[in-house]
Formats: sequence, structure tokens, C-alpha cells
Amino acid sequence: MKAVYRLVLLVVFVAAGIWLWTILLPGPEKIVRKRLAQVAAEASFNSGENVLALAARSVNLASRFGTNVEININAPEYGRPLEFVGRDEITQAAAGMHMHLSGLKVEFPDVSVTVAPDKQSAVADVAVRLQASGEKDFNVQEVKFTFQKIGGDWLITRVENVRAPS
Amino acid sequence: MIFGRNLKLTLLRAAVWAVVCVVVFKILLVHVRVTGISMLPTCQDQSVYWVNRLAYVWQAPQRGDVVAIRFVPADDSISRLGPPHVMLLKRIIGLPGETVAFKNGRVLINGQILDEPYESEDYPCYWNREPVQVGPDQYYVVGDNRSMPWEDHTHGIYPRNRIVGKARL
Repeated sequence: MKAVYRLVLLVVFVAAGIWLWTILLPGPEKIVRKRLAQVAAEASFNSGENVLALAARSVNLASRFGTNVEININAPEYGRPLEFVGRDEITQAAAGMHMHLSGLKVEFPDVSVTVAPDKQSAVADVAVRLQASGEKDFNVQEVKFTFQKIGGDWLITRVENVRAPS
Repeated sequence: MIFGRNLKLTLLRAAVWAVVCVVVFKILLVHVRVTGISMLPTCQDQSVYWVNRLAYVWQAPQRGDVVAIRFVPADDSISRLGPPHVMLLKRIIGLPGETVAFKNGRVLINGQILDEPYESEDYPCYWNREPVQVGPDQYYVVGDNRSMPWEDHTHGIYPRNRIVGKARL
């Protein structure tokens, strides 16, 4: 009985150790998923938020991207693709959204991450769901995010739509 | 008395039922709510269907099946066990190895007109597209509402591993 008790205790300790290891030293895939969750949270905003909070959101959002990030997103409602290059343009675009929309909910319900063998870059295929405040309809697109490990941090360096395979 | 004569047995039975319900209704059968008009008139906007994830375990997908397709490709993470949150509901028209074309709104499989009893005259199609080859282990899927412009209608060739299951209509 004492041996069984010790064995159970050992299993519990090993499991706790593994769990702690993954918390303290997350792998690239986990970090990329966390970054995407942060991007979704920072790109979303409510109608009641004050100007300073919205400005902070824009700055935080831009900090998730590399300095030379390229964004090319298909936006049928604008009649042309949306193209941004660099963090400054992202900050401006976010400010523009805050001015023209009363609120926006950004969600990434499905995320698929592929980390390169050298663990210095990763590609995430993401289902992006956008819903403006007060709107019943929403827009869902498949978007590819390219991440690179720059200065020890995982930053987004490219964002582009994925066309349906045909 | 609510718990029966044997409390342990009742709790065990409840736990087994809970596990069965989770496995059946969270993993094997997935309920989907249709958003959009691309599957009209077969599937109405906002209608709910069940998707059977076991349908293609022992048999290959068949032409005419309405299937749920994973919106983004799956990775190797553990979350693959659970169903994706966003799926496309489409009908299989092209099987592996076939060529698929559209001529005056009619589907041509290997050059032969495909009989599609599910298509409605209320949704006329005028698509014209050159033949495309469906690769091995791939399927050509399209919605039933082809009165939409070609470029607004998500369709095309998808690998089998993106087919989540068969929709029960």
C-alpha cells in the first residue's frame, strides 16, 4: 500500500513538473497562439471606451507586429484590398477604425500553427471573425499570419488572405 | 431516495452518461448553424444541422453528399480532436481524379453533364469555367446556390483531411 501511495505521489509530481515546465517555458506554438489572442483582444473595442484607452489599444496592437510588416487583406466592402506597410500605418488604420466604427469584435475561432524546423518562424492559418457593434451580420475570412522571432520576441511580419483552393 | 438505493452506482452511471454525451455531442456529432445563402435552397440561412464525423471513417465521401469542411487547415495540435468552430457547408460534385468544368451553368464531370436534382430553377446558374483536375485524395465542392457570382461563392478543390463529416439534412 505504501508503494502504491509513493507511486501515485511520483506520478502527481511528474505531471505537475511537466505542467509547470510548459507554463514557464512555453514552446513557439503556444507563444504564437498567445500573441494571436492578444491581437484579437487589442483589435476589438467597445463604443464606450475613452480616447486614451483606444490610443493605448492602437499602440499595443502595433507592437505585436514587426517594423516592416506587410498587410494585404481582401475587403469586398471597400471594393479594394487593404494594404498597410509598417507599424505606423497599422496605428493609423486602428485610429481610423476607432473613428468610423462604434465598436468592433475580432475573434480568431480556429487557429492552425506550423512552426518552422529552425523554430525561428511560424505560419498561422486563422479563421478571422469580424463583427461591428450593432450589426447582426459578421464577416469570416481565412487569413495567414507569418511570425518571426525578432529580438527574442515573436512578431507578425506578414498578414494576407487565403483564397479558397480551386 | 433520489439517488437510488446505491449512491456509488448512481454516481458511476451518471458519470458514464456524462462521458457518453460529451463524446457523442461534442466529438462525434457536431451541430452547425448555417450563415449565408450559398447552400440555398437545400440549406436555409440560420438553419441548424448535425454533422456526422464518423460518416467517412469506413467509406469515402460520395458525389452529392453535403459535407462540412474545415475553414482553416488542421495542425497537429491536440485541439484537432475537437471539431473546428468555423466550417463550410458544401456539396461534393467532383471526386478524386475527375475533371470538373462549368458550361452555361451545368456541371461537367469528365466532359459529361452531371444530373443535379437538388438544383432549383429559382436559382439559375450561368457559370462558365474551364475544366480543372481534381487530384488524388481531393474533392471538388460547391454550394447549391450558383446564382451568386462565381467570385463571391467559396468553392473549389479541398483535400479529404479538411472534410469534417457528412451533414444530416
